[in-house]
Amino acid sequence: MRDIQSARLATLVALAEKKPLLGRTAVMKLCYFLQTLRNVPLGYRFTLYSYGPFDSSVLSDLSTAETLGGIESKTVFYSGGYGYEISPAGRSRSVRNLASGFVKKYRSDIDWALERFAKFGSADLELLSTIIYVDREFATTNERLTADALAEKVREVKPHFAEEYIRGKVDYLRQEKMLRSVRTASGRK
Amino acid sequence: MGYLIADPHRRYEIRCPVHGFIQIDDWERQIIDQPSFQRLRRIRQLACTDLLYPGAMHTRFEHSLGVVHVASLLYDSIVQKSREALERQLAYTKEGLDRDRQLVRLAALLHDVGHAPFSHSAEDLFPDRGRGGKKFGHEDYSAAIIRTELRSAIEDHPLNENTGFKADDVAALIEGSAAAKRALFWRDLISGQMDADRIDYLIRDSHHIGVHYGRFDHRRLISSAIAIPDEKNQPPRLGIEEGGWHAAEALVLARYFMFTQVYFHKTRVAYDIHLRETMKTLLPGGRFPKPSGADLREFMKWDDWRVLGLIGKGKGGEHAERILKRDHYREIYYTPEACTDKDLRDLRAKKAKLGRLLVAEESAKKSWYKTGTSDIPVFSKVRSPQVQPLSKYSKVIEGMRENNQVLLYVDGASREEAERRIKETSKRR
Repeated sequence: MRDIQSARLATLVALAEKKPLLGRTAVMKLCYFLQTLRNVPLGYRFTLYSYGPFDSSVLSDLSTAETLGGIESKTVFYSGGYGYEISPAGRSRSVRNLASGFVKKYRSDIDWALERFAKFGSADLELLSTIIYVDREFATTNERLTADALAEKVREVKPHFAEEYIRGKVDYLRQEKMLRSVRTASGRK
Repeated sequence: MGYLIADPHRRYEIRCPVHGFIQIDDWERQIIDQPSFQRLRRIRQLACTDLLYPGAMHTRFEHSLGVVHVASLLYDSIVQKSREALERQLAYTKEGLDRDRQLVRLAALLHDVGHAPFSHSAEDLFPDRGRGGKKFGHEDYSAAIIRTELRSAIEDHPLNENTGFKADDVAALIEGSAAAKRALFWRDLISGQMDADRIDYLIRDSHHIGVHYGRFDHRRLISSAIAIPDEKNQPPRLGIEEGGWHAAEALVLARYFMFTQVYFHKTRVAYDIHLRETMKTLLPGGRFPKPSGADLREFMKWDDWRVLGLIGKGKGGEHAERILKRDHYREIYYTPEACTDKDLRDLRAKKAKLGRLLVAEESAKKSWYKTGTSDIPVFSKVRSPQVQPLSKYSKVIEGMRENNQVLLYVDGASREEAERRIKETSKRR
């Protein structure tokens, strides 16, 4: 098994061990946050959909981790929809040990991501990760925006969210110093 | 670019062995006529698969036309059945829906325009993006070609007076950028669980190869496609009506069968190795040029014809020679499709025993044609909850696992010795 593959599987198991019953959307977005905000080299290729940054390889890796006995996934239903709960399984330690050095090296980043983001529901995680994605697109081209302008850009992608709600999440991420393209009223980042 | 067009509203029909006639308008025809699109006539859909299945000579050109056709059918079905959800949740008007239909058609037409020679075979040789272990993908090349070579053909046609598209709008939808705005909802039709790309290639590949594994009732699937209304303050999602779940199940099974019987066939995979190694020898620095500036123009000079010409002239080294002589690597060992922890340990033992006889190891996880495990949402008018995953309808799908099979290869000359060593490791157990 290639190094990057082992690192991904071990990371997924480490997330499930630290925070059992994580949703599948949460795992997807946590991988995005780890890679984008903490530079954890998972090698995923996230691109933007209306439901936020997504890479089908994350789902593929979750399935492989399940086959290897590292995690188990359960379908859960709620009014109007469904989701998946992911928990560690019998061979989680063995799968984590495929890349124990990697997990050890990035343990603090995994804890950091869970602490900041595991508390949110899937709709919020989709919104927060979309804000980060849009922010990074502007930051890549050295464009600077106000918080309002960034919220407006995000709303163009997710028009079903109220403007104030998006703005609240932009403010949260700005306070946490996770945004790069947003400048303050005085023009500083 | 100057156009002398007698009738910009004229429509054209192109014969397709899968869909019958594919209709295009004058604008799309002008784009198809561009050299960067015509290049797709010189890129085979399935690389060297014809060495196993002689009929596999079809190209990315006809597939791209097929994707436009299927994407339009999907789009129309969804709009017809889900107009209310699209208007309420994404604020669409009739004009907005007409506009995005054209955008989806252009993105479908151009999604593969950035393919390297022999499609996915040598994509490992795309250059690195930089940090994070990520490489460029063919979608990055498609977006770059759209923004440069195809910009004028997209922006300057008289029909674009009605939509005002920029080339960036088309590129943004393909690459998944916020610039695509609410049209990102439609991105699942270009790149998703039941996208037009997948529907077309499964049926088209089956048709040309002469197998039935990839066939399914795609018309039923398309007519069942809907935008599933909001779940917990989330945007509408692409899914299917309950009546189409057997067709969706058949799509997933078609992917599985095509993967095991065609895309991950041991000999096809061997030829992919030889193509990749040949390209490594032929490309300056062993890497494709980057998708920008002069490098992009250099990239576009590479197509199957050029590579085959070079192979014919004796270039490309040992692996090109192997392709010419059909002297491919031989599979010596394969793990189960759903490989467990124990299977991985067995694999490591076999690899150690083979030692230097082992020349290649290929994993299904690395293949572009993955079997896929994510569920398709199914919407029911009578059940509660109304939205359930396909795996709750289908026991077959529920039991499916991601294919993480690994294949080991040796040179044909050392096959007997390799077989002896493999048997030895089995005896010890």
